[in-house]
Amino acid sequence: MATQTIQRKDPSPVVRQPNRSSKLKQLGHSKALIIMCLPAIAFFVIFSYCPLPGTWIAFTNYNFRDGIFGSPFVGLRNFEFLVKSGQLWLLTRNTLLYNLAFIVIGNILQIALAVMLNEIRAKYFKKISQAIMFLPYFISVVLIGVIAFNVLNYDTGALNTLIKETGGDPIKIYSMAGIWPIIIIICQLWQSTGYGSIVYFAAIMGIDDSMFEAAAIDGATAWQRIRYIILPSLKPTFIILLLFAMGGIMRGNFGLFWNLVGNNATLFNTTDIIETSVYRMIMSQNNFTSSTAVGLYQSLFGFALVMTCNWIVRRINSDYALF
Amino acid sequence: MKRNLMTRATGIGLALALGSACMAGCSSDGGGGTGDSPETVTMLVLGDKPTNGRLENMLEKLNEKLTEQANATLDLFYVEWADWQTQYNVQLLSGDSTIDLITTATDWLYAWENSQKGAFLPLSEEMLQTNAPKTWEQVNKDGDWELCKLNDGQIYFIPEDNYTQWTNHGFFYRGDWAASAGIPDGTITKFEEFTAYFAWIKENKPEAYPWDASATSDAAATLTGYVQGHTDFQTIQQISAGNYYPYSTTEADPYTVSSWLMEGDSIIEAAQLAKEWNEMGVWREDSINYDGDTREEFYAGLTGTDQHHMQTFVTQIVSNMEAKQPGSDPKMFYWGQENGNYFRDIKTHGAMAVSANSSHPEKALEVYDLLRNDQEIYYLLNFGIEGTDYIITDDDKLGFPDGYDSSTDALGSNFWGGRMDEFEPDRTTEAADKWDLYASLDADAKDYPYTTLLFNKDAIESSLAAMSGVLAEYMPQLGRGKYEDPAAAVAEMRTKLQDAGYEDVRASLQADMDAWATEQGLK
Repeated sequence: MATQTIQRKDPSPVVRQPNRSSKLKQLGHSKALIIMCLPAIAFFVIFSYCPLPGTWIAFTNYNFRDGIFGSPFVGLRNFEFLVKSGQLWLLTRNTLLYNLAFIVIGNILQIALAVMLNEIRAKYFKKISQAIMFLPYFISVVLIGVIAFNVLNYDTGALNTLIKETGGDPIKIYSMAGIWPIIIIICQLWQSTGYGSIVYFAAIMGIDDSMFEAAAIDGATAWQRIRYIILPSLKPTFIILLLFAMGGIMRGNFGLFWNLVGNNATLFNTTDIIETSVYRMIMSQNNFTSSTAVGLYQSLFGFALVMTCNWIVRRINSDYALF
Repeated sequence: MKRNLMTRATGIGLALALGSACMAGCSSDGGGGTGDSPETVTMLVLGDKPTNGRLENMLEKLNEKLTEQANATLDLFYVEWADWQTQYNVQLLSGDSTIDLITTATDWLYAWENSQKGAFLPLSEEMLQTNAPKTWEQVNKDGDWELCKLNDGQIYFIPEDNYTQWTNHGFFYRGDWAASAGIPDGTITKFEEFTAYFAWIKENKPEAYPWDASATSDAAATLTGYVQGHTDFQTIQQISAGNYYPYSTTEADPYTVSSWLMEGDSIIEAAQLAKEWNEMGVWREDSINYDGDTREEFYAGLTGTDQHHMQTFVTQIVSNMEAKQPGSDPKMFYWGQENGNYFRDIKTHGAMAVSANSSHPEKALEVYDLLRNDQEIYYLLNFGIEGTDYIITDDDKLGFPDGYDSSTDALGSNFWGGRMDEFEPDRTTEAADKWDLYASLDADAKDYPYTTLLFNKDAIESSLAAMSGVLAEYMPQLGRGKYEDPAAAVAEMRTKLQDAGYEDVRASLQADMDAWATEQGLK
């Protein structure tokens, strides 16, 4: 703790000089890096910053004739329907909890998978298992919905057929709201874990070999190597990914939820998220203002959360903060 | 180590970017063709763009004619069925100046909303008389321009007012099975008679579902079908909340806005019948999540019932069932058949508007006039090239050449904004008794009374959206009989609808209704 406090007061005296011209010089030194960043910067400027003024549409009664900034201002009226439908709390809760589960369980599994992959010595087995885990990422959520229905449905589903054949009573899974969070989380993890583990795997590959060599000389076991070298080295990656994920915590995976649950209101209590509910409410209303309002609500919430988490992280260890 | 300013800025930028993904449309301007070369008129149509090459061949021939007669060519822009409700409106919102003609409709394609929002060009009488004289004359003769005017007195679209079609919904069922079920003549005349029909199928046709209802086929069909035939409620078609039309009047009191969802016991009776059907196993347990093609199942004898409208019955069901289930004697029971509580199609169920951003609206109207009124051009656009896409049989019916398969060979030009009865020959694939069916429908049908009534939705949209959330929760469940106690569920739904703003919306609609009725001298 003490060293960190000192660091913050006197930041990197060797690299940085406290005057402006040196900052420009520094930019000059980083020319190559900046050029490499340009496509990404251009992408965000064009697709994320340029449309930002368009969010004004959320506060207007939009019409084609007057355009976005000429249409009459209506204050927060476009946000009203979420409150009036009486579902704002339920939707916010579901969306948050699902995303928390996805982030926490997802990251733990991804790290575990990356570490396990790293420990495998047989080259071909490693490559093949990596490819197999990667594949679900490329399967469309529409197909996942169809597969789930064919496995889980009451009349003809594989699971219930098996139960019936073995003399049991079939289960009405599509009427059991309580079980769906588990099904949805499993589907999401099945789809995303293999893909997500690549980042961690890459981070492990980047760990300085000399540390492993030193550990080997000291007689560290495989478990000790994981515990004292790999996991601590993954911490910055984990925190950065976590901070990024926080920004989208109010955004649900619409495709997955819609294809698994659809219009089955029996399950809404545990499966309805902001996206699916809003889609049902305004899809046929020709209503861009309300959908923009919802998008803005989600964005502001995500923005606030990223800022807060980043602030907390910076307080604990500024090296791990995004900014 | 602390990072420099640059990284900080990028970091904040990234966070902002992550947090913001609200996109808005950008408008663009484009110029149309001028001078001596033919001008291209682009028409927005709904449907999946065909890929069999037939459309392109037809357009080539059609464009020769159009170039000759109007120095113009036609191009079609497709809004495909996947997510069409969003895509259609986004397309109009984007203000794309390359689109000239827009297929629209007041009951299902937001014609009034889009007129009010300025997507369509107001069409002056002179403009129509000069550039689309034949269309002007025919619509004017029937006095139908009145159906296309906003409160400002301007015409915003051209109605498909000279085309007979019936899009009233109901059940398709099998006459042979109904007769076996002991229903006299195998003809169902009351909604409740389906109980006996379903029971017989359940008992005798183990491979078939009595009605393999799917998630996409109107989940509330059981409710609307029952209520329409047992009350005189008349749905107000202009006001939707999600997939539902919550407001209605009654025939006895046509100028008071109410709702069958909120008043009376008919919805409870309907939900109880649905519960009975659910317990009988009429549909599969998970029908709300089922996405199968029930039409194909009907053709294959795997479901005893299918749900859609009369037009589908006449043009597809009869010929397909006769070919694929010989002797099945397909029939249709339509909602409101018992008490004559159903409507003729409104004359703006199809319409054509000119885009407000069109760079050559006069030329667009000129082309439209030809598409609608020149028989040769009309046949090309709607039926294709004679000999390859269609044939005219000896008895003057429109048929298809040998080896033609409508599922892969369809022309798909989807011109639904100006079809004309005089250019529509009977098809060989249509029900032989089509005109008898139409005549019997026509005998009892009512005209929709509120065609010219415009509602101001500005203040009620958020309540309607909230109501649609409630309806999406309760209606599919009520319609599929999933509640233990339907009456309690209806009571719960009514409370939630009230909370969502039912009464505010009703009052607002009533005010518009009163003003309209007074203006029309009805009240």
